[in-house]
Amino acid sequence: MLELRLVQGSLLKKVMEALKDLVNDANFDCSATGFSLQAMDSSHVALVALLLRSEGFEHYRCDRNLSMGMNLGNMSKMLKCAGNDDIITIKADDGSDTVTFMFESPTQDKIADFEMKLMDIDSEHLGIPEAEYHAIVRMPSAEFARICKDLSSIGDTVVISVTKEGVKFSTRGDIGTANIVCRQNTTVDKPEEATIIEMNEPVSLTFALRYMNSFTKATPLSNTVTISLSSELPVVVEYKIAEMGYVRFYLAPKIEEDEDETK
Amino acid sequence: MSSRPSAFDALMSGARAAAAKKKAQPSSSPKKRKSPDSKPSQNPDSATVLETEAKGQENGDAAGNAVACKEVAALPAAKKVCVSASAQERTAQLKSKIAQLKRKAGDFDPKLIDCLKEGEKVPFLFLCLAFDLIANETGRIVITDIVCNTLRTVMHTTPDDLAAVVYLSANRIAPAHEGLELGIGDASIIKALAEACGGTEKQVKNKYQVLGDLGLVAKASRSSQTMMRKPDPLTVTKVFDTFCLIAKESGKDSLEKKKNHIKALLVAATDCEPQYLIRLLQAKLRIGLAEQTLLAALGQAAVYSEKHSNPPPKVQSPLEEAVKIVKQVYSVLPVYDKIIPALLSDGVWNLPKTCNFTPGVPVGPMLAKPTKGVSEIVQRFQDTEYTCEYKYDGERAQIHYLEDGSVEIYSRNAERNTGKFPDVVAVVSRLKKSSVNSFVLDCELVAYDREKQKILPFQILSTRARKNVVMSDIKVDVCIYGFDMLYLNGRPLLQEELKVRRECLYESFEEEAGFFLFATAITSNDIEEIQKFLDASVDASCEGLIIKTLNKDATYEPSKRSLNWLKLKKDYLDSIGDSLDLVPIAAFHGRGKRTGVYGAFLLACYDNNNEEFQSICKIGTGFSEAMLEERSASLRSKVIPKPKSYYRYAETISPDVWFEPTEVWEVKAADLTISPVHRAATGIIDPDKGISLRFPRLVRVREDKTPEQASSSEQVADMYTAQSHNHSNNQDDNEDD
Repeated sequence: MLELRLVQGSLLKKVMEALKDLVNDANFDCSATGFSLQAMDSSHVALVALLLRSEGFEHYRCDRNLSMGMNLGNMSKMLKCAGNDDIITIKADDGSDTVTFMFESPTQDKIADFEMKLMDIDSEHLGIPEAEYHAIVRMPSAEFARICKDLSSIGDTVVISVTKEGVKFSTRGDIGTANIVCRQNTTVDKPEEATIIEMNEPVSLTFALRYMNSFTKATPLSNTVTISLSSELPVVVEYKIAEMGYVRFYLAPKIEEDEDETK
Repeated sequence: MSSRPSAFDALMSGARAAAAKKKAQPSSSPKKRKSPDSKPSQNPDSATVLETEAKGQENGDAAGNAVACKEVAALPAAKKVCVSASAQERTAQLKSKIAQLKRKAGDFDPKLIDCLKEGEKVPFLFLCLAFDLIANETGRIVITDIVCNTLRTVMHTTPDDLAAVVYLSANRIAPAHEGLELGIGDASIIKALAEACGGTEKQVKNKYQVLGDLGLVAKASRSSQTMMRKPDPLTVTKVFDTFCLIAKESGKDSLEKKKNHIKALLVAATDCEPQYLIRLLQAKLRIGLAEQTLLAALGQAAVYSEKHSNPPPKVQSPLEEAVKIVKQVYSVLPVYDKIIPALLSDGVWNLPKTCNFTPGVPVGPMLAKPTKGVSEIVQRFQDTEYTCEYKYDGERAQIHYLEDGSVEIYSRNAERNTGKFPDVVAVVSRLKKSSVNSFVLDCELVAYDREKQKILPFQILSTRARKNVVMSDIKVDVCIYGFDMLYLNGRPLLQEELKVRRECLYESFEEEAGFFLFATAITSNDIEEIQKFLDASVDASCEGLIIKTLNKDATYEPSKRSLNWLKLKKDYLDSIGDSLDLVPIAAFHGRGKRTGVYGAFLLACYDNNNEEFQSICKIGTGFSEAMLEERSASLRSKVIPKPKSYYRYAETISPDVWFEPTEVWEVKAADLTISPVHRAATGIIDPDKGISLRFPRLVRVREDKTPEQASSSEQVADMYTAQSHNHSNNQDDNEDD
């Protein structure tokens, strides 16, 4: 028996919007401690990890650990039917092959039940080790989304380099090049507008912008984004979900290419 | 893609090893919906727990076990060492054994390929390596041996995978009549390749031009994108199932979904797998493995691994007999899904009993051999009784009428055409006699003008809509010309003589002019009578005659071009007498065998009045390899960046390169037709359509002519009007208008 009641239903909607373009099908794992998901995209280049801790739910009941395979596109279709202020409850019975989403309007005058078929998904759970990152950048999430969007109109890849100066995002395409530097800036009115750079070692890595842009779909979840970089390790782009958990995207870097385009 | 770095495997596996150890102590195992041994941890918390544990493990020796880790994670750590074998080792193992497949079938034992375990899913790599062996052989016997041994190995280890292996080897995903196609264009594959290896489409396209085969491009692509984790090695079933998924994707975003499926396969492919994966996706396997060879190998393999029954005692050579059986059964029931389970469960000798002609499953139509003249026919069929039928110029169709009253129409290639001919469905249901409750009819569907009571040319028929036709929208009526009956009231007639089958046909239907007629036929062995009949057929807008034996050797041989049916076409007698002299104005890059030279050329005739070159046809046949090379080389120096202002062509043609008009080629063709694409003689015959050539072939290069002396538009128009069937139809139409 599983029953999770989330007062801020819109949060779940936003989470789905953040994930559904990257991953088609995934297993949602429920345990006593929380509701989580881990999945890779079809090319195994990016990995997403979601955690919603049990404390964040108004009511959280999970008798046995449960793994539910869902098609994220279909799930998103159903969640789109929930109003932004609705309270969403996720329900499933042990051994059943469906999951039910219940949407209650805040005034309790409308209750909707949506039942979705589950699917068998062959996926594995990777243990993700905590690494010491060479550099950690925290910046406003909207700013990061803007940068990725702008750069992708010029090139396919982004080089993210962190130096003492700040963090530099650069790209190169057929029409020219672009460089955007963000400096450390803590003298702001609101803490979420700050750009904070912690650097142990300078680092410079190349990533496919396509993936970065799909990560920024999570922007509505959080005002700030944390980017952790280490040479030859996947970058971590983390959006914290207030009082509940996080969405973390891991992206494998690209190898510096030989200039074979010029041939 | 050959070496795909995944720098994190070591790191990640350290964590997984830790997870394995942790799970080794039996704790309250989480509830699982799926196979119990698959996951090291489903506890969402484990990631956080691991994070601390993993630190000590990161540099560990677990790296080598990276791949095996997943499978063994649930087992105690001690067992892990013996089970683990890295992907590279496995590849090497398979490679070292694969040459065994080349042994003569008699000397081969499936146990020689001992790195495949019984019950283990057949790795896709095994099949690809076998493909590689086949591709390097040219002898059919050697190829048959390799395929036979491959199939035997599969039968020995994992018989459940046999169907998938056979389907992939035949480069199919389903029987033809199910109409299931992968539906992937080169563009999608290029996109998927680019995304899978982190390059740009442009890079892939450039490589494609150099290598001429996307399969080789895939093999040569080195990834610039690292991965989170190398996916599990591909299995034959995984590949085949994904292909089926791809074929079934439809509707919104289906291209995107197909691309993602392809990407998922590509990133998991190693060694020579990408090459064959792409070729299979393109439906261009091209390793010289014909389906008949595959069937022969299947028959032989069945004999070697026969467990169920011994060959009937009187059989001299069981191998040959089995091959015959499999081929025969496949010709009447071309459905591997039925044949292979039957083969595995009841054995090859019972196959004709377990698999038989089934209404609803089309068989390949029986075909006719071409002949040059009436005298040849009389000679060949000296002592046998034979019949001559009109050869109608329409679409061959096999109409299946099932007992429940449903009707399906299948094309020459076993494609389901029912949606194209709702009128035909109605007609056969109406005109069959009431005593008939099921039948399979072989017939020709011909465009027909019911007002003027005459047959229209094939080109008119081809203007009909292809899908979901509504009765009220039909502009081109068709008449069914029935000539053979394969099944009637629950009884297969394939083994009956034509005489009997034709009786059945005549007894089963009512004729109605313009809707359903029996093919006009005479039974004669007089040369002059046949010659007259031939002329009459041409006058009646038919292509010529089909001559069939009636009594002797007169069974229906599905998809065989047998000598029992001969065709006599007017094309063969007097293909358009004169050749044309045409100018190559553009070309397309060659693919496959023709990499590096041009694969096809766009030809044009010269319009003296407007002083322009008008495209008339594409040509790719009639070239010897040397000739093609020579022509490509000489024209390469004449390439111009864009077409001349005095070239007339349809935008849709979009060739790869344009030429200065310099050469004149003599070309022969079977026929001239009206074409919406080409521009020759536009305005002379048809106000907006041009004329094109059917089956053009190069005869020689005319060194003595300049481009301006090429065949003129008027000449082309004259030749078109000179063709007799156009005479009788279009000319009249024009006069009527």
